[in-house]
Amino acid sequence: MFDGLILLGQGIAHFLTPEGLFNVVWATLLGLAIGILPGLTATMGVALLVTLTYKMAPDQAILTLMCVYLGAIYGGSRTAILLNIPGTPANAAATLDGHPLALQGKAGLAMGLATTSSTLGTLVGIFFLAIIAPMLAEAALKFGSYEFFWLALFGVVISGQMTGSDTPLKGYIAGILGLMVAMIGMETLHAYQRFTFGIPALGGGIDLIPAMVGAFGLAEILSTMKRTAIARIAPVNDRVVPRLREIFQYWKTIIRSGIIGTFVGIIPGVGEDVGAWSSYAAAKKRSKNPELFGRGSQEGLIAAETGDNAVVSASMIPTLTLALPGSAAAAVLIAAMMIHGIRPGPMLMIENAPFLYQVVAMLLLATLANLVFGLSLTRVFIKILSVPRERLMAVIYVLCVVGSFAITQRMFDVYVMLVFGIVGFILREMKYPMAPLVLGIVLGDLLDLNLRRGLALTNGDPTPFFTRPISAAICIVIVLTILMSIPAVSTRVRSLFKRGRGDAPAQG
Amino acid sequence: MERSAPQSPCETDMTTEAPTPIPADEASDPARIRADLITAIVFIALGVAVAYFSWTMDRLEVRRIHPSTIPGLVPFILGLALTLCGSLLAIRSARLDTRGAGAALVRVLVSWQAVRVLVVLGLALVYTLGLVGRMPFWLASALFVFSFITLFETVLADHPGSLVRTLIWATVIALGAGLGIQYVFGEIFLVRLP
Repeated sequence: MFDGLILLGQGIAHFLTPEGLFNVVWATLLGLAIGILPGLTATMGVALLVTLTYKMAPDQAILTLMCVYLGAIYGGSRTAILLNIPGTPANAAATLDGHPLALQGKAGLAMGLATTSSTLGTLVGIFFLAIIAPMLAEAALKFGSYEFFWLALFGVVISGQMTGSDTPLKGYIAGILGLMVAMIGMETLHAYQRFTFGIPALGGGIDLIPAMVGAFGLAEILSTMKRTAIARIAPVNDRVVPRLREIFQYWKTIIRSGIIGTFVGIIPGVGEDVGAWSSYAAAKKRSKNPELFGRGSQEGLIAAETGDNAVVSASMIPTLTLALPGSAAAAVLIAAMMIHGIRPGPMLMIENAPFLYQVVAMLLLATLANLVFGLSLTRVFIKILSVPRERLMAVIYVLCVVGSFAITQRMFDVYVMLVFGIVGFILREMKYPMAPLVLGIVLGDLLDLNLRRGLALTNGDPTPFFTRPISAAICIVIVLTILMSIPAVSTRVRSLFKRGRGDAPAQG
Repeated sequence: MERSAPQSPCETDMTTEAPTPIPADEASDPARIRADLITAIVFIALGVAVAYFSWTMDRLEVRRIHPSTIPGLVPFILGLALTLCGSLLAIRSARLDTRGAGAALVRVLVSWQAVRVLVVLGLALVYTLGLVGRMPFWLASALFVFSFITLFETVLADHPGSLVRTLIWATVIALGAGLGIQYVFGEIFLVRLP
C-alpha cells in the first residue's frame, strides 16, 4: 500500500521537470485540438503521434501520447456541445444534452460541466487503475497458455459483441478479419511464413501502426470529406467555470458513471463510446428527472462525460497488466510501448514496476492540464472549430503518409495504410466496428501462439483449456456472450427474467 | 453555408463505432441490407479460401512437429468461423432484403458523396503512388495539398467562394504544410521522410 504511494509520488515527481511539463502542455493542447476537430479521433491522433515521438525518451513519449489521448477524448465534448456533432465517437452521448443546453444559452455552463466531469471521471478511473492493476498483474502471473488463449479470444468476442452497432455478427466478422490479418507473416512457434504469397515484405507481418493510421486516418478523412454540409456553432455567452454546487449535487451520478466507465475500460477492446452510453443510460434510469434527458439535462451531460473519461484511465488496467488493449487507442499505445522497449503484460510489475505508477502520474498531469486549458481557453477552441475541413484533411493525409512510413522506413507500410484506409472506410460505411478489427490484429499472435503452445504441452489434449478454473470461467463467459448475441436466445432469456420479476410481487 | 444540425447522433458519421444503446435504425436501410448481402458473399468466399489455404499449408512433417501445432490450425478455424458468420449475415440480409434495395444501393454508389470520396481517393493514390519518391517530399505534399483544397473549395463545393481567395489560401497552406512537415519531422524530431 505504502510502496504504491511512494512509487506514485516518485512517478509524479519524475515528470515535474521542464521537459515533462512542456510535453504535457503541448501534447494536451494538440489532443484538445484533435478532439475538437470533427473527423479527427483520439485513436487517429495517437497513431499519428507515435511517429513524432519515435526518437523521444520512452517515458516522455508515452506521456505525450497519453496527453493526446486524454485531451482528444475530452476535447470532443466541445464539438458535441457547440456543433451537435461528437468530436470523437466517445462524445456522441454528450450531444444529447450538451447541445440542447447550448441552445438554451447555457453553452458555457455545459462546457464547464463537461470539463469538470471529465476530470472527475478520469480521477475515478485513475483510482481504480492504481488499486486494481497491481492486483491483476499479480494474479496474471499464474496465467498459462490456456488462460491467455481464452483471454485473447474473450477480448475479440466481447469487443465484437459490444461494439457491433447494427448486429453483433458484424462485430464478430470485424474481429475475425483482424485475427486473419495477424496470421500473415512468420508465426512464432515454428517460424513458418503464412500467407505471404512470395512477397518478402509480408514476411514480418502487417505492422499495427500503418494499419491503424489507415483504418483511423485515411478512412476518417474519406468519411469526413464525403459529407458536404457544415453545422453551425452555438454561441457562448455565459460563464464557463461552474459552481461547485452545480457539479457536486450530482455526486452519485459522478461516482456511478465513473465506476461504469472503469468497468467498461477494463473489458478489452470496448472503448470510451460504450462507457459514455452505458453511464448515460444508467443515469437516466436512476435520475429523479429522467424526462429532462435529451432536452438539456446537466446530469445526462455529466454522466456521459464522466463515463467516457473514466474508460481512458481504466483501459490502462488490461493494457498494462495483460497486454490486452482496453480500447482502440490503447492498442496503439501498446504498439508504441513495444517500439520504446516497454513490454506490457504480467511481467511489467516485476520488470518495470515504477512504469505503472508513471502512467498514473501521466494521467493525473494530463487531466489537470485538461481542466486548466478547458476552463480557460474557450475562445481559442471555438476558433479551432471553425477551421475548414477541406484545408485540414489534406494536411492530415500527408501526416498519415509520414506516420505510416517513418517507423520502419518502408513504402510497403504506406501501401498497407492505403489498403487499410480503403477497406476500413468501406467497413465503416457498412457499420462494421473498427475496435474488434484492431483487437484482432493485436491479439492474433497471442491467441495463435497460446493455443498451439497449450496443445503442444499436453501432446494435443485440449482438456486443460476447459478444466483449469480460470480457463473454464473465461470459456463459459465467451460461450454465454455468443449465445446472448443470438436474438432468439437473448429474447427468451430476457423474458425469463421479466417473468421472474413479474412473479415476485404476486407471490408476496 | 448552413445546414440544420443533425437530429440525433446516429445521423452523423462520427458515430460509426456507436454501441448497442443507440436505437439503430440502420437495419431498415435497404441499400445497406443489399450491400450486406454482397459483402456476406465476399466474406464466405474469403473464409473458404483461407480455410483451403490453411488446410493445404505445409504441416512440417519433416520437422516432426506435433500435428496439433501445425501452422495452419488457427487460420483454418478462422476461415471456418468467417464462413459461418458470413453465411449467417447472408441469411439475415436475404430475410430483410426488400424490393428496390438494388436500386437504392446503386443510388448510393452514384451519389454526389460517392464522387467526393472517389476524388479524395484518386488524389491520395496519385500522391502516394505517383508523386512520393519521385520528387522532394515537401514538393509532392505541397502539390497534393494544393490540388485537394482547390478542388474541394471550387468544383466540389456546394457554394464555391472566390477563386482567387481559394488559390491564395491553397498555395499558402500547401507550402506551409509541405515545408513545415519537412522541417518539424525531418529536422526537429529527426524522423526520416519518404
